[in-house]
This record gives sequence, structure tokens and C-alpha cells, in this order.
Amino acid sequence: MIGHFDLYMRRESALHRMDERAKIIALVGFVLAALIAPTRPVWPACTLFGLLGLGLVFGRVPPLLLARRTLLVALFVGLPLLVSRWGGEDARLAAEAFAVKSLLVAAAFMVLMTTTRTVDLLDATGRLPLLRGLSALAQFIVRGVNVLLGEVVRTYRAWALRAPRANLQLRVRGLAAASVSLVGRAAARSDRIGAAMVLRGFDGSLPQAPARSPAAAHLAIGVAFAMLSLAAAGIGRWT
Amino acid sequence: MVARKRGKDALWQARELSLAGLLGALGLLLPVGFHALGWGGKIFLPMHLPIVAAGFVLGPATAAGLGLVVPLLSLALTGMPPLPLAPLMSVELMVKAGVASLLYRVLRLPIWIALPVALVADWVVLALAVLLAAGFLNIKAGALAYVAAVIVAGLPGTALQLAAVPAAVAAIERRLPRLALKRGKQ
Amino acid sequence: MDIAPALSVEELSYTYPGGGRALDQVSFSLAAGERVALLGANGAGKSTLLWCLVGVLRASGKVVVGGTELARGAEAEVRRKLGLAFSEPDDQLFMPTVSRDLSFGPLAAGDAPEESLRKAHAAAGQVALAEDLLARPPHELSSGEKRRAALAAVLALEPEVLALDEPTNSLDAPGRAALAEALLGLPCAQLIATHNLDFVRRLCPRSLVLVEGKLVADEQTASLLLDRGRLADYGLLAPEKGPT
Repeated sequence: MIGHFDLYMRRESALHRMDERAKIIALVGFVLAALIAPTRPVWPACTLFGLLGLGLVFGRVPPLLLARRTLLVALFVGLPLLVSRWGGEDARLAAEAFAVKSLLVAAAFMVLMTTTRTVDLLDATGRLPLLRGLSALAQFIVRGVNVLLGEVVRTYRAWALRAPRANLQLRVRGLAAASVSLVGRAAARSDRIGAAMVLRGFDGSLPQAPARSPAAAHLAIGVAFAMLSLAAAGIGRWT
Repeated sequence: MVARKRGKDALWQARELSLAGLLGALGLLLPVGFHALGWGGKIFLPMHLPIVAAGFVLGPATAAGLGLVVPLLSLALTGMPPLPLAPLMSVELMVKAGVASLLYRVLRLPIWIALPVALVADWVVLALAVLLAAGFLNIKAGALAYVAAVIVAGLPGTALQLAAVPAAVAAIERRLPRLALKRGKQ
Repeated sequence: MDIAPALSVEELSYTYPGGGRALDQVSFSLAAGERVALLGANGAGKSTLLWCLVGVLRASGKVVVGGTELARGAEAEVRRKLGLAFSEPDDQLFMPTVSRDLSFGPLAAGDAPEESLRKAHAAAGQVALAEDLLARPPHELSSGEKRRAALAAVLALEPEVLALDEPTNSLDAPGRAALAEALLGLPCAQLIATHNLDFVRRLCPRSLVLVEGKLVADEQTASLLLDRGRLADYGLLAPEKGPT
């Protein structure tokens, strides 16, 4: 068995137990709030960071893990922040807003991914008619990742056993050969998976699986979180 | 796209969906492999390789959908590419794969025309998206320089795509001979 | 009164697109509830025959499953009656969770969501797949569990005939024993393509042997397994005596 290829962290917490649809509502509200929240005055952004902190606590997400996972974003937004020091006040404020908003959105997204299984998230988004096709595609990609990951590991091990001290040229050739072989194998496998789908009745559309109703309390918490985020951002921006 | 209902083509649609899933999976795994070897994703553009190849073996809607989904899914599963970059890449790959499919599978142009046109379409969309985002964030200075830097840094990746994508498409069409027959019937 | 066979195959022939003859005038039938082994060396045509039975490969000849003849327009009906379990479970489990995979067939066949879930759970029970595995993604399952999940996905459609392609691949001895137990408890007719003669000896009273696409034997498994010379001619190795 190959381990998870996602950011989900198995843990017992209130946020882990919460219905994924409620979490999506909370995230959408939070992201919209982060986008409209001003960075001057600072209290709306601080409120949003506080709400994010609540997510960390109730999801039992280690802050260091979150910091590590948002490090790439910090590096990405750090450069404009640095460059803006040589620009005018407008540029500095814009870069600062860009950095704050990016970090808020990225961290909220990471909290969601850390506390929710990818399959559950895709299942929830797949129930929205607009996203049904893309979610189905994403579900097949996730399944494909886990199938191909096994082949990648086996291919890499076979290659590493035969070329334990490979130089750069050998590495390039190894990676190229493995990639081409994976593409070929993926194509052949898709043929068989396609046949499996048709043999079980696929007629061009994926049947919708039965869904349990989300608990009212979960939905209420998700909506409340979203409203609170939007209220903080809205008041900060328009007053 | 995925939910088209045409009974007699169900086998083809099932194969297209599963092939899209596996090529999308490669789009997620290749960058991880490149990073493990210490090779920069912005230089070799590993995610682009299978998605562009998908443009040549899938219908335009599925190919464009795949381009849209893969960077966002990669962000969700691996945290890369980082958030401000992932939506930009989504738009880029959606256009690139969609254009490739439209030219190769629908208009039946040869790959040596369709591939360079798809690459140029990607650059145009990248420039437009960056200018739009810069305007939105009020950081106009340096936006075009950023686009130029991204394109120049990604030239090895572009060369890799020009070399590897036709080979990958040929490999897939060899494994799935019915695919070649499907060209022009999307 | 004659009872109609669960599966009837008459003069089935298939030629590869490249020109090689894969199946040559193969004819046989399976009675309801009968378990029959399909034996042959690598490349003998076992898998090709199974693909032809469900119409994924188009062969000449006649295939009738539960009274329905395989023809254009009737493929879906035949595929509901004849379930094919692939040699590689990863090719067969394509949905994000085992439960979604098991209920896919019934849902696609038009069953209500609750009914499809009931069939999924019943099929899981038939192959002794633990309930707690149903909510998991397929890649979290062991090889044996995946094999049973793939089998359950086929059984959820309640087929009249179950065709299995190399069901013992990548299974250890306890896994093979558990699979054998599960198959022995199923009421449907079964056609089991395998190299594993130990497995066949335990499960299948009757065996068919394919050599280069031709059906060269259709007889009692017990007598076939005693004839080591003939088995060697067919490219098969007689099993050692003892428990399976």
C-alpha cells in the first residue's frame, strides 16, 4: 500500500468531524473576506488571522506544520514585498496587501486540506451542478495518482537498484525512460479502466452517489464563520 | 464535458475520462519527481508535459478541463504551485491544452503546427493574466518584465515540450490505435 | 425439460487487428451455478475469450448469457448478466472510495441510491470485505482486500455468470484460501481463467483447456490433473498433492 498523496492529517478533532460542506461554506466566506479586507486599518486582517487561529485550535493543526506548508507562499509573496521597499508608498501598500491576502487564503486552504479527506471534498464539490464535470475529472486524477504512484515507486526502485551512483546524464536518461514508460502504461491502463466502467454500466455520465444530509449544527457553524469573516472585512472596508 | 450522454460512445468516453485521470495524475507526479531531483519546476515546467500531451489525445473540452483542474488539485494535494501562482497556471494550461486539442483533434492540423501555436497561446494568455492581476493589485510596474522573465526561465521546459510531447503522443496513439481514428470526430 | 444454460458459446473466433488468430471456433456452455476452470498457458487466449464474452472485443460466433444473445444493442444487458473481474484490481476500482465503487454498477443500472447501497453492502458481505473498508479509498486496501473489493463490485450487479481473470494473482496462501471460500459461497455460474491448478482442483469440478486459441479439452478436472503428460503438452504444470 502506498501512503496518502495529499495534505490530509488523520487526527481526532472537531474540525475533522465537521461536515465537509460546512467547511467549504466557511472557506468560501473566509476567502471572499480576505480578498475584500483592507490592510489599513489593520484590525480586519487581524480579526481574520484570529479566526484562522480558531481553525487551527479546533482542527488540532500544529502551527509549525501550517507554517511549513505556507512557506512557499511566504517566499513567493516575500519578493514583491522586498522589491516594493524601493517603490513608492502605493507600491509598498499594494505589495503588503498582496502578501497578507495570499497568506490568509493559503493558510485557510491548508487548514481545510489538513482536516478534510480529498475524496470527501471532491464528493461535496461534485454535488454542485456547475462543478460536477470538473470534480469527476479531479476524482479520476486522485485515483490515478494513487495507482501510478505505485508504478513510480517500483520504477524508481528498479532504476535506483541498477544505477545506485548515477551521474546527471544517467539521471536524465533514467527519468526520461521512466516518464515515457509511465505515459505508455497510463495509456494502456486507461483502456482497461474505460472497459471496466462500461462493463459496470457507464453510459456517458457518472451516476450520483447517495449523500447523507449535513447536520444542521455543522451548517450553522460554517455559515456563522463565513458571516463573521465577511462582517469583519466589510466593516473594515466600508466604514 | 464529462457528463455527455451518448450511449454508443460510452466506451470511448469512459476511456477518455480514465486517460484524462491518468495524464492528470502524471501532471501531479512529474513535478514531485523533478523537485526530488532538485530540478526547478519553473525551468523545466514538468506539469506542462502531460497536460499538453493530453491536449493531443483528448477532446477540447476534456483537455481544457484537465488543464484547469490539475494545478488547483496539485495545490490541494501537495501545496505546489503556491496559491497566487496556481490559478494563473490553471488558466495557462487550460488554454494550452484546449488550443492543442482544437488544432490537432478537431481541425486535424499536424502536431508540428499545433504544438508551437499552443505554446504561443500559453504565453499570450500568461501575459494577459499577469497584466490583469497586476492591474487588480495596482502593481503595474514590472508586470511585463515578470512575464518575460517567466518565459525566458521556462525556455528549457518549452524545448522539452517540443521534444517530448510528440514522442509521448505517438506512444499513446501506439497503445490506443483507436485514438488516432477518432481525430476529427470530437 | 431442458434447462437453458447460464452461458452458451458457439464457434467463437477472434483475430487480432494485427492478423494473429486468438480464438478459433471455441464452443462450450455453463449450467446455472456451475464452476468451470479455463486453463491454458500464457497467450493461449483465456483473457481474450473473456473480453469477447462481454463484447469489448468483437468476435464472430454466438454468445448467449442467461437467454440474451450478445449483439449490437444488447451489450448492456449481457454485461449485467455476465460480470467480469479483471486480473488487476487497480484497473477495476476506479471510484474514489470502495463504497462508491461498489454502488456504481447498481446506480448506473438505474437502482435507487438506497437500493444501490444495500446491494453494495450485500456484495461486500459475500466476499467477506469488512464494513470499515467501504469508506476508504481503494489504494488504502491490501492486495487481497482490493481483489475482494473488485469482485464485490462485479457481484453488486448480481450477475448470473461470474468470469474471473487470474483471480489468484498477487495473493498469498491465506488470501487464496479466503477467495476460494468466497467463490464457493456464491450461487452464480463461474468461469475461472487461471494458471493455478491447486486453486482449480479445489473449486472447479470441470475444466476447459485452450491451446493457441483452440479448445482442446473439456472434461472433469480430477481426471485432467492426473494426466501429467497431457498437462505438460498444454503448457501446464501438475500441482503437488496436498492441501491448497
